[in-house]
Amino acid sequence: MSSAIPDLDLPFQYHKLANGLRVVLHRQPELPLVAVNLWYHVGSKDERPGRTGFAHLFEHMLFQGSEHVGTHDHFRLLQQVGGVANGSTWYDRTNYYATLPAHQLELGLWLESDRMGFFLPALTQENLDTQREVVMNERRQRIENQPYGLAGERLHELLYPPDHPYHWPVIGYMEDIAAATLEEVRTFFSTYYTPNNAVLTLAGDFDPETALERVEAWFGEIPPGPPVPPVTVPPARLGGERRAVLPDAVSLPRIYVGFRAPAYGERSWYAADVLASVLTGGKSSPLYRDLVYDRQIAQDVGASVSPYEKGGTFMMVATARPGVAIETLEEALLGHVAAAATALPDPVELERARNRLLTEIYSGLQKLDGVADLFSQFATYFDDPGGVAAEAGRYLEITPEELVELAATHCIESERAVVQVVPREAD
Amino acid sequence: MASRPPRVDRSSPPSPGPIRPFQFPSFLRTRLANGLAVLAARHSDLPLISLELVTPAGGQYDPEGKSGLAALTAGVLDEGTSGRSAMEIASAAERLGGYFTTGADWDVGYLSTGLLAQNRAAGFELLADVAFHPTFPVEELERLQRQRLAEILRRTHDPSALADDRFHRVLYEGTVYAHPLIGEEDSLTTLDREALVDFYQRHYGLAGAALIAVGDFDPEELLREAESAFGSGGPPAPPPPPEIRPPSRPGISVHIVDRAGAAQTELRIGHPGVSRSHPDYPSLVVFNALLGGKFTSRINLNLRERHGYTYGASSRFSARMGPGPFTVNAAVATESTGAAAREVLFELRRIREALVEPAELAETQSYLVGVFPYTLQTIGDLAKRLETMAVFGLPDDYYTRHLERIAGVTREKVLEVARRHLDPERVAVVAVGPAEDLEPQFEGLGPVTVWSPQGEPQLV
Repeated sequence: MSSAIPDLDLPFQYHKLANGLRVVLHRQPELPLVAVNLWYHVGSKDERPGRTGFAHLFEHMLFQGSEHVGTHDHFRLLQQVGGVANGSTWYDRTNYYATLPAHQLELGLWLESDRMGFFLPALTQENLDTQREVVMNERRQRIENQPYGLAGERLHELLYPPDHPYHWPVIGYMEDIAAATLEEVRTFFSTYYTPNNAVLTLAGDFDPETALERVEAWFGEIPPGPPVPPVTVPPARLGGERRAVLPDAVSLPRIYVGFRAPAYGERSWYAADVLASVLTGGKSSPLYRDLVYDRQIAQDVGASVSPYEKGGTFMMVATARPGVAIETLEEALLGHVAAAATALPDPVELERARNRLLTEIYSGLQKLDGVADLFSQFATYFDDPGGVAAEAGRYLEITPEELVELAATHCIESERAVVQVVPREAD
Repeated sequence: MASRPPRVDRSSPPSPGPIRPFQFPSFLRTRLANGLAVLAARHSDLPLISLELVTPAGGQYDPEGKSGLAALTAGVLDEGTSGRSAMEIASAAERLGGYFTTGADWDVGYLSTGLLAQNRAAGFELLADVAFHPTFPVEELERLQRQRLAEILRRTHDPSALADDRFHRVLYEGTVYAHPLIGEEDSLTTLDREALVDFYQRHYGLAGAALIAVGDFDPEELLREAESAFGSGGPPAPPPPPEIRPPSRPGISVHIVDRAGAAQTELRIGHPGVSRSHPDYPSLVVFNALLGGKFTSRINLNLRERHGYTYGASSRFSARMGPGPFTVNAAVATESTGAAAREVLFELRRIREALVEPAELAETQSYLVGVFPYTLQTIGDLAKRLETMAVFGLPDDYYTRHLERIAGVTREKVLEVARRHLDPERVAVVAVGPAEDLEPQFEGLGPVTVWSPQGEPQLV
C-alpha cells in the first residue's frame, strides 16, 4: 500500500458565544449517542513550585457537586441514564467528558454548565478532605506503588529546570496535595474555570441548530472571567546532559532517555513522532529487532513524543533482560539514535511508520469521546478544529531528511536526560 | 447570537428528549462446509477490518505440571511458518500499518489481525499461513521462554500481579486455575518443542474453532474468501473442557504477601464464582453492577467516596467456561487495609440480607441499558461480542434480547442470586503490602498466613 493522504470526512461547526466560550459541533449519527466534551485551558503548567498537583485535585473537586447538583449526584445522574463520564488532567489542560444516550444531551449540558457557573456554593471542607485522601491514594497507586513508577517524574525533573512548568508531575508531590486549602480551590476556580478559557465540543447524534441554541441557553448566562495569567517558559534548550540512578523495588533494570523535543503543532513535532514510530513501532521495527529479537538484551523497547504545548519530550524506554548491564542497554539505545542523526531511514521503515500512524489515526476516530476530545484539543491549542482532519496529512508531509535533521538537532547528548532504574539492594 | 434564549430551569435535571432506538448490529452466523463457524459483521464507519480465529486452546487445557503451555504455544505460533520467518510474519502486517498477534486466555487461543480494509486479502493469507503452517522453531521457542522467565521475575515486584497470583492460588489450589496463564518458572523451563507441537495438534485443528470478522466489507464476499482460506480439512470433535472443582473453604482466610516499605496495599477479596454458561449469569451482571461494577456502585461509593480509602474499588465475576473468580479489587492506603476489608465484607453481607431499593435497581438497569450502544462503538467492541457468542455457544438472538433480559431482573432475583452466589463467610482476603503493618489489622477476621513475594510461607 502506498501512503496516500486519507480522505477523512469530519464535518464541524465552530462558534464563539458572547462570554468567550468556544463551541464545536460535530454531527455523527451512526449510533444514538452524544459526547459532551469540555476542555479548560489549565493544567499543571499553571501551578507553581510548592503548590503542585492542584489542577488535578481540582478536577476531582469538580465531580463533587455544584449549586444545583448534590455531592454524589454528578456521576449518579450520568450513570443512571447509561452515561460514561470522567475527567483527566494534563500539563497543559484539564478535560471533562461524558458520552450519553443521544436523548440525554440536555442532562450533560445542565451538569457541565452548573459546575462552570455555579460551583462555589457547593464547595465544602469535608469534600476537599475526602478527595485529598482519594488523590493521595491515586498517587500511591499510579506512581509510588508501581514498579518504575517514579522514573517518569525523575526524568522530567532532570529535563526541565525547577522553574519550568513541566518540571513537576501532573499529579503533584504528596506534601503539596496534603497542603491544599479551600481558599486555593476558590481562587483557582475563579481564575481558570471561566467560559473564555474553555472549549465545549458536542459529537454524535443531534441536530446542530437546536444543540447550539441549547448550549447558548445553558452556558450563555455565565459571565466571562479576567484574562488567564500567562505562563513563563524558560529557554527551550537544556544545554548539557543530566543523569540520575534511581534504586527501586524492581527485578529488572530499566533505562529512560528523554530529549527536549519541539512543541506540539510544529512541523518538527510531527517529524519527532514519525521518528519514534520508525525506531520502535512494532516487532519488525529496527530497535525491537536489534535489542529484543537479535541481541536479546532487552525485554521491551519503546519511544514516543508527548504532545506538550510548550515544547515536548521525546522519550525512549527499554527494560533489561536478566544479567544484562544497564550500560549495555543504554549504549545500544543511543547507538540507534546517533545513527538516525546521520543516515536517512530505510524507505521500508518509513513506509511502515507512516502506515502505522495512519491506522492509529483511523482507530482513534472509532469512539465518539475520542473524536470529541480531538476537536476540543485542536480548538483549545490552535483555535482550529479543522486540524483534526488535517493531521494525517501533516504526518505524510514529513520527509526522510526532516527525520535526520530532527535527530541531529534534538536527540543529542546536550539535550538529553537519562534515568537508570536499578533494583534496590535490599530487594 | 441574535436573540436571547429563554432562561433555563437549573433546579432539577432536565427532561430527556425522545428515545432513539438502538438495535444490536446485524451479523452473519454460519459454518463453512468443513464445519468451521464464521461470525461476520459489517462496520463501515472507517476503512478498517479485524479478522480473528479463536479455537479451544486456552490455559484451562494446560496439563498438570505444564502451566503456561497454552500461552507459550500461542506465543510461538507466529514465530515461524514453513514459508515465513518470525520477522517476516511481524513485518507482513506491520508494513501495511496493521498488527498480527496471537495469544491465549483461559478458554481459547487466538490469532488476530487488524488492517486497513483494502488489505483484507493479505490478512486472510497471513492468518491461514500462521494457523496451518507453523513450524515452532526451537531458537524462537527458547527466546520466548527466556523472555517469559524474565516476565515472571518482573512480576515478583509487581504488587498487582502478586495479589492476583496469590488470590488465584488460594482459591483454586489443586486445579489449573491456580497458576497464572503465563505459567511458572519450574514448568516453563520444562516445555519443549514436542510439547508445543503436541498441544498445537490437539487444539488448533479447527475443531470447535470460529472465525470472527468485523469491518468494512461485504459479508457474502468475505464468506467466499473464508471458504478458500479455511475451507480445507475436516475438524474432529473439539477437546472437552476440563472439569474445574475448586477446593472447599472452611471460613474466611487472610493471606499477606509481604512487601516491606510498600507505599500502598493491593487488596483482593472473593471466592470462586460461576461459569459463564450458568443460567444466573445475566442476572449476575445486573447484580454485580449494583454491588461493585460501576462508579456509583455500593462498594466504590463506600470505600472511595465515603471513606477515601482508595482511588477506586470494584467487583467482578470473571467470565470463563469454568467457575472463574468473583473478585473485589482495590489498592488501599496501608493503614486503612483492615478497615477497607471489613467495609467490603459489610457490603457483601448487606446485599444478601435485604432486597435492594427499587430506585437503586432501576438506576442500575437503566445504566446497563443506556450504556449498551457505548460498548459497541468500535470494530474491536463488536468482534468481542461475536467472539463471546461463539466461545460460549450463545444463541443468535442473545444480544438482540440483551436489553429485555436486563430489564427483567427483579429485586427478588437480585437477592436470590446474591444468596446463591456470594459467600462472605468463606472469602479469601489477599493483601500485598508491608506485613508488619498489615497483620495486626486483620486480628479477629480469620487465620493469617504471610508469604514472601517469591511464594514461600513466612514464620509469623
